[in-house]
Amino acid sequence: MSNLLSVENLTMQFGGLTAIDNLSFDAKNNEITSIIGPNGAGKTTVFNCLTGFYKPTNGQMFLHKDEGKISLRKYTDFKIAHVAKVARTFQNIRLFPAMSVLENLLVAQHNELMVASGYSFFGLLNLKSYRDKEQLAIDKARYWLDIIGLTNRADDNSGDLPYGDQRKLEIVRAMCIEPKLLCLDEPAAGLNPKESAELNKLLKFIKKEKKTGILLIEHDMSVVMGISDHVVVLNYGKKIFEGTADQTKNSKEVIEAYLGVDE
Amino acid sequence: MEYFIQQLVNGITLGSIYGLIAIGYTMVYGIIGMINFAHGDIFMIGAFVALISFIIFGLTGVALPIILLLVLLIAMLFTACYGWTVEKLAYKPLRGSFRLAPLISALGMSIVLQNYVQVAQGARVKPMQPLISGGLEFFKNSEFVVTVSYLQIFIVVLTVILMGIFTYLITKTDLGRAQRACEQDRTMTALLGINVDRTISITFIIGSSLASVAGMMFVLYYGVIDFYIGFLAGIKAFTAAVLGGIGSLPGAMLGGLLIGLIETFWAGYVSLEYKDVAAFSVLIVVLIFFPTGFLGKPDIEKV
Amino acid sequence: MEKKDIIQSVKDSLFTGIIALALFGPIVGLRTASKGEGLFITPQWGIVFILVGLCIFGRFLINLNSARKTEFTFLSKFTSKLSSVTEEKAKHLAITAILFATVFPFLPFTDRYFMDVAIMILTYIMLGWGLNIVVGLAGLLDLGYVAFYAVGAYSYALIATTFGWSFWICLPLAGIFAAFFGILLGFPVLRLRGDYLAIVTLGFGEIIRIVLINWYEVTNGPDGITGIPRPSFFGLPFKRSPDEGEVSFHTFFNLEYSTMHRIIFLYYLILVLALITNYFTLKIRKLPVGRAWEALREDEIACKSLGVNPTNTKLTAFAIGAMFGGFAGSFFATRQAFVSPESFTFIESAIIVAIVVLGGMGSQTGVVLASIFLIGITEMFRDLEQYRMIAFGGAMVLIMVFKPKGILANRKPTILMHGDKK
Repeated sequence: MSNLLSVENLTMQFGGLTAIDNLSFDAKNNEITSIIGPNGAGKTTVFNCLTGFYKPTNGQMFLHKDEGKISLRKYTDFKIAHVAKVARTFQNIRLFPAMSVLENLLVAQHNELMVASGYSFFGLLNLKSYRDKEQLAIDKARYWLDIIGLTNRADDNSGDLPYGDQRKLEIVRAMCIEPKLLCLDEPAAGLNPKESAELNKLLKFIKKEKKTGILLIEHDMSVVMGISDHVVVLNYGKKIFEGTADQTKNSKEVIEAYLGVDE
Repeated sequence: MEYFIQQLVNGITLGSIYGLIAIGYTMVYGIIGMINFAHGDIFMIGAFVALISFIIFGLTGVALPIILLLVLLIAMLFTACYGWTVEKLAYKPLRGSFRLAPLISALGMSIVLQNYVQVAQGARVKPMQPLISGGLEFFKNSEFVVTVSYLQIFIVVLTVILMGIFTYLITKTDLGRAQRACEQDRTMTALLGINVDRTISITFIIGSSLASVAGMMFVLYYGVIDFYIGFLAGIKAFTAAVLGGIGSLPGAMLGGLLIGLIETFWAGYVSLEYKDVAAFSVLIVVLIFFPTGFLGKPDIEKV
Repeated sequence: MEKKDIIQSVKDSLFTGIIALALFGPIVGLRTASKGEGLFITPQWGIVFILVGLCIFGRFLINLNSARKTEFTFLSKFTSKLSSVTEEKAKHLAITAILFATVFPFLPFTDRYFMDVAIMILTYIMLGWGLNIVVGLAGLLDLGYVAFYAVGAYSYALIATTFGWSFWICLPLAGIFAAFFGILLGFPVLRLRGDYLAIVTLGFGEIIRIVLINWYEVTNGPDGITGIPRPSFFGLPFKRSPDEGEVSFHTFFNLEYSTMHRIIFLYYLILVLALITNYFTLKIRKLPVGRAWEALREDEIACKSLGVNPTNTKLTAFAIGAMFGGFAGSFFATRQAFVSPESFTFIESAIIVAIVVLGGMGSQTGVVLASIFLIGITEMFRDLEQYRMIAFGGAMVLIMVFKPKGILANRKPTILMHGDKK
């Protein structure tokens, strides 16, 4: 299986504090890679570096595409999603609460729709070409809503949904930009066991059907062990282990990091 | 050269006045995250109260230094009442609301205050005889004599004293700590048993008192006031607060001095009519390169 | 009520009284008036005691009622009812309103005064709808909207007086010019955080005003630009005695000459302009860019994570809002036949922002209601010139305190998957 993401010697320093120290790991195509570690290990910092929110102090992050590899350092702000096709979700759900479920999914398809609307001119003239494209976008939204079972709530405000549904919506919204790499920041946080199982199902579906690589930060071990093909363990900003889910469960270093060592 | 020094002196004086008003803006912004649009009009009310007090005391035969002290205290007292009331009426009910709500409320309050004073005191400008006159002269033998008036010295010295007092207040006392805690995390501060409402009220009272001192200085320095002086001084003082870094007390004073100097030098060397434009233009330029001002804390939103 | 509640109420009221005394005492009680070169004080204690008494009494009443809270719930229930009614019957209301507006000039009680007020209200409605795009939809805090109004008015004035082109050519040009200014201003400052953006736009508004006052060569300074050509009915001037080779409007239609003809034409002109603004806004809300505006307003970081370019999106809102402001400015110029800097003060920006926020951010109907309400108040108090501004500011504060989201702050989705289910 080829590499999708190569992180090489990534270092992130905030003043005197080193949040990430010389981190290197790979995430493969069509696989689910989880990043785990105790709180403060630097997991969200890695995400923020990958998705253009922080500028790394050192190191490289490459995304491998068909045409070759691109350096994620070059993309900041909205370009990460628009050009590099890296999507992410957030620890604290960031939906557009006053907008409907459908509208949330349409905003995700903004860029194609903008072009289709002729930067609004065709749209203002209500041309058929735009209307058709808009219908396609709605169809795509319906497709994803069907998968997560929210189709009949498409016109409700997204802020009115129960928490578990909001999480799922955030994920499928990210999928609407057709990303190559999907970064999920603690998607199972706050979910009960039934909802976690549904989340697992959704992520496996995405991996299999959409051929999108998934990078996951998680604390919930039922999710991590249930679906990960590959696990990277961080502690104090350093990688202390990398391997399959089973290997991770049994690794001495990982157990020490989480549970401590008998003195 | 002498002209330059004169402008420098004038600029520092004006800057002190702006700085005192700016402190009010920066403290309020720091603690409840809103621009108190009505603050400039609080300054204007301070000026009016000072004017009225000066007139009354002028009729008595009391010595000048006593008058200054009394007027200072009276202005601070009555203006603080205004600041307190405005907070309770227009801002406190909106503390949980979205960002724009207190801003509109503040705008409305500003309009109310301006027109209230206009109705109560009349729309005409109010002149006053200069109370403090005379000064020191330098470079007496050159073409341009630099005059540093006693009034200017008084203003700057008073400003320095007040800065000292309030910096001590903020950094060393319980109140200051409570204030800084509220700035960081209001909910947590309340959970720790600190009376957040009272802390916020005191912040407004302090800001208003300092603005009233600026008002008193304005009356003495310019000799004429009207109900509209709050608007322009207010925007410039807010510009100063942003320049220095919103939320920072020394930043507010620094910003005030900067604005005072920029305005004075621009008026003196380039163009008198466009001096107000200078301050705004500087603001725009600075914010483009320093979005959080010179001494401001950068705003890192946690993702 | 219990005895200790009454004691508490009395204490509260006394405290209120003391504060009121401190507030009103110096400013109201000691009125300064000019005498020769100085000032003297006229005591006005009577008024002070009345005001203080009112405060004490009012406070006592509030305390008495706070257990029941009847008035306040009445108000919120009223406005919620209003919101739901306007939502359900939106189309009916809109058609009724447009019909009423169309026949308004010909109603029996409509005289010159009412027409002028109507034109003023419609101008503010158009400005409100224009700013609604910037503040209401995109959530950008623009406190200097008057700048675009001014740019539109002055560019119209300059083009019309220099080149003598017709209204229909000058208007779009002025709008484009204003949009250009919008882009010019927006480009460096739209990255700024909300409050900073507010103060910078305010500053820009002031800069424009000061430049207009001082740049004699171009803007004629405080004297303004006069002699702007009055509007004509597609070539037929509204003159009593037309120039050589011209046929007057009243002659063409076989009517007695009346100044009302021009006024009615202007009325319909602003009505059409406003309706175009509204139509444009309604349509663009349903387009991707409109949706992106609202999404940006909700959560900019989420937008960026979805590949939306925030700067371009904001710039578009700013420029389009500026363009409509420019159109309104052109109308203003041709209606008054004269422009001067004093029409473009900060208070205008404040009024327009107030209209948008009070009406309920993003609500088109809200803008209409807020304009009618606010301008209506100022007209009612016209005789009491200064008190009306106090009423205006007071209304702003009161509405914000009781209904921070604005009067009609309900949002319906711009697109439905399942269609209308009624």
